[in-house]
Amino acid sequence: MSNKVLGILNMEPNYVKVEGIEDYRPISAGSVLGRYRTIDFMMSNFTNSRIQDVKVYLKNRPRSLIEHIHNTNYNLNSKRGKIHLLYGEKEVINQAYNTDLNAFHDNMEYMDEVSPKYVIIAPSHFIFIQDFSVMLQYHLESGNDITILYQNVYDSNERYQNCDVLSLDDDKNITAFHKNRLKYKKGYISLETYIMTYELFKDLIDKGRSISSMYSLSDIVADSIEWLKVGGYHHTGRAACINNLKEYYDFNMAMKDSREMYQMFQDDWPIFTMTTDSCPTLYLKGSVVNDSLVGNGCRIEGSVIGSVIGRNVSIGKDSVVKDCVISPNVTIGDNVYLENAVVDRFAYINTVKELRGEKQKPLYIARRDNI
Amino acid sequence: MKKNNMVAMILAGGRGSRLFDLTKKVAKPAVHYGGKYRIIDFPLSNCANSNIDTVGVLVQYESILLSSYSARAATWGLDSNGGGVYVLSPREKDEAGLDVYRGTADAITQNIDFLDQYDAEYVLVLSGDHIYKMNYEKMLEEHIKNNAEATIAVLEVPMSEASRFGIMNTDSEDRIVEFEEKPKNPKSNLASMGIYIFSYKTLRKFLKEDAKNPNSSHDFGKDLIPTYLNNGLKLMAYRFKGYWKDVGTISSLWEANMDLLDPNGELDLFDPSWKIYTEDVLTYPQIISEDAKVDNSLITQGACIEGEVVNSVIFTNAKVRKGAYVKDSVVMTGAVIGKDAKLYKCLVADDVRVPEGMVLGDPDSDEVLLVSRAYIAKAGVKHE
Repeated sequence: MSNKVLGILNMEPNYVKVEGIEDYRPISAGSVLGRYRTIDFMMSNFTNSRIQDVKVYLKNRPRSLIEHIHNTNYNLNSKRGKIHLLYGEKEVINQAYNTDLNAFHDNMEYMDEVSPKYVIIAPSHFIFIQDFSVMLQYHLESGNDITILYQNVYDSNERYQNCDVLSLDDDKNITAFHKNRLKYKKGYISLETYIMTYELFKDLIDKGRSISSMYSLSDIVADSIEWLKVGGYHHTGRAACINNLKEYYDFNMAMKDSREMYQMFQDDWPIFTMTTDSCPTLYLKGSVVNDSLVGNGCRIEGSVIGSVIGRNVSIGKDSVVKDCVISPNVTIGDNVYLENAVVDRFAYINTVKELRGEKQKPLYIARRDNI
Repeated sequence: MKKNNMVAMILAGGRGSRLFDLTKKVAKPAVHYGGKYRIIDFPLSNCANSNIDTVGVLVQYESILLSSYSARAATWGLDSNGGGVYVLSPREKDEAGLDVYRGTADAITQNIDFLDQYDAEYVLVLSGDHIYKMNYEKMLEEHIKNNAEATIAVLEVPMSEASRFGIMNTDSEDRIVEFEEKPKNPKSNLASMGIYIFSYKTLRKFLKEDAKNPNSSHDFGKDLIPTYLNNGLKLMAYRFKGYWKDVGTISSLWEANMDLLDPNGELDLFDPSWKIYTEDVLTYPQIISEDAKVDNSLITQGACIEGEVVNSVIFTNAKVRKGAYVKDSVVMTGAVIGKDAKLYKCLVADDVRVPEGMVLGDPDSDEVLLVSRAYIAKAGVKHE
C-alpha cells in the first residue's frame, strides 16, 4: 500500500526518572488516573488515527508492559492490525548503549516487513490526545521532511526539564533545538512526536549511529535541521510529560477536575485499557468522598479528599486519604492518615498510622510494601 | 481443567412485561442491573466459572440487543476452542415452517439438532433473568451421584411466601415426589429456581413426545416435570443456599439493586474467585466532584457525581448534577439527574434526563417510581 503508516511508540529517554514507580516498570506501564496505564493514551491515539501497525519499544523491565499490552484490546483490527513489543536485544545488558536508535537498528526486519511509507514516532512518557492522521495531512501539505509536534507552554521554568525546546521561524520551520533547563517560562516544547518517511527514518538511524553509538533519535533529528526541512506542528490541549514523580503526581491531581476529564475524554476518542472485571465501587455508610477520581472495585469506608484512587482499592474505617495518588489493588487499613503520597500497586498500609509527603515532594510508597 | 460434557441452555426469550418501559425495546435478560451489569451476565458468568464452555441463548422477544450482546462470548471467557455462546432464535426448518418458541420446553425441542451436534450428555436449563451466583458443576456432581434423570435447584423460601412459587414436595432423601405450581396450601417451602439439569437422552425422548402432544403448553414446570414424575423417573431436588432473586417487577429489581449496598450482603460481587463478567465500557473512572456527597452507595465508572447521593446505585455514565439529591434510588446507565432535581425511591431508566429542579418520588411511599422517558414527558416540571 502506498501511504501505509507505521506507528512507533518510543522507549523513554534518559531524562525520565520517575522515582520508585520506574523501579518496577517503564513509565509507559505506570498507572494513571485510577484505571489507565500511561501507554493507553498514545496507543489510543494510534488506533483512533486508524494506524494498524504499532511497534512498542521498551528498554527493560518488560513484565508489566507485556501483561498490559497482551490483555488490552486497543481496537486494532484483529486480522490486519498488529502490535509488536520490541527492545534492543544486544543492548539490554549494557544500559549505556540501550538507545532508541540501536533498538530500531536491531529490529529493522520487523519494521521492514510492514513496508510503510511513513512513520510516526511517539513518546511513551507523554500523555496527550492527538489525531495523527490530521498531523500527517499537515506534514504532507507542508513539504516538510520531518514534522515535530510541539506545545506552546508557559511553565517551562517549572516543568519539562531536559525536554527539547524548539526555535521556530514564522513559517514554523525549526531553526534550533535547546534542552530545557527550567530558565524560561515561555517555550515551544517538543512533544517528541515525529513524522517522516520510512526511508528517511532508516537513513537517520544509520547517520545517528555512525556519529555516536550513544546517540538517540532526538539527537540526530536536532542535527538534521542543517540539511533537512524540519517543521513544527502545534498541539492544543493538555500535554503532560511524566518525567519525574512530581510530574506524575501533578498530572493525576490536575485531572480530578471534571472539566479536565471531559476535555481529555471525548466520545469520539475512546481511551482503551485493560479490563479487570471489577465490580462497581461501594461507598459504605459514613464514608466522605469528594474532589476525587475513583476506579471500580473499591470499598471505601473512610474519607477520600482530593485524591485519585485506582481500581480495587480498599480504604478502612476512619482513615483519611488526602491529596494522594493510590494505585490499583492497594489496601489501607483503619485509622490511617495519608497525605500527599503516591502509593504503588498492592501496597498494604495498616501498622503505620500517619504518612505525609509534601505537595512539592510527594511521598512514594513502594509496590507490595507492607507498612 | 477438562470441561464437562454439559451444555447450558439459557431461556432468554421472555418479555418481562411487569418491567413496563424497561422492556419496551429490550428483552428482560438484557436489562441493566447493579451499576454495570446486564441481568444475563449472571447466568453466563456462572456458566464460565462452572467450567461450562458451550452455552445456547434462546432469544425471541426484542432480541437485537440481547443477541449481539450474548454473541460476544469473550466477554465471559466463553470463547474457548470448540465452545462458545450460540444465540438460538426461532428459525425456519426443512421439514417445518417458521414457528415461534411455544414454551420453555419447546424452545429446547426446537434446538435438539443443536444439542445433538454437541454430543451433550447433560443439559443445563437456566433462566436468563435471575440474579444469583451458583456453581453448576457441583450440581452436576450431585446429579451424577444420585443417578437422577433430572435435578432441580430449589431454594427454601418462607412458608408464608411459598404459594408464589413452583413448589417441590420431596421425600426424606430430597427425591421429588410432587410438583405444584403456586399452590394455595403449600406442603413444602422448597421453591424451584428454574434451574434444571437433565440427562439428555431421556430429555430428548420426552421433548419429542411433548412436541406432539396437542394438549401440552410445552413448559418445563407445567408439562415436562409432571411427565417425568408420572413415568416414575428419578427427579432430585438440589438445595441451594445463598442469594437468588427473580427480578420480575420494578420493585424487585429496585430491591435487588439495594441489596448490593449491604457490605455483608449475600451477593458478593467483590469475590475474586467468582467474578461476574460484563461488557467492557470505554469511559473514565467515576468523578466525585468537589461539592459532591456520597453515602452508602454503589457507583460505577463513567459516573459523575456533583450533587448528593444517599443509599443509591448509580450506573455507568450516569450523571448527578450540582444541587441534585438522589436518595434510595437506582439511576441506570447514561441517565442524567438535572441540577437541583430531587429523587426519592425512584428507578430511573437508561438514558433518561430528569430536568432541572424536578422532584420525583415520595420519601414516605412504599412504591418505587419508575422514571422512564415517557414518564418525564408526561410529568412536566414540578418545583419544590
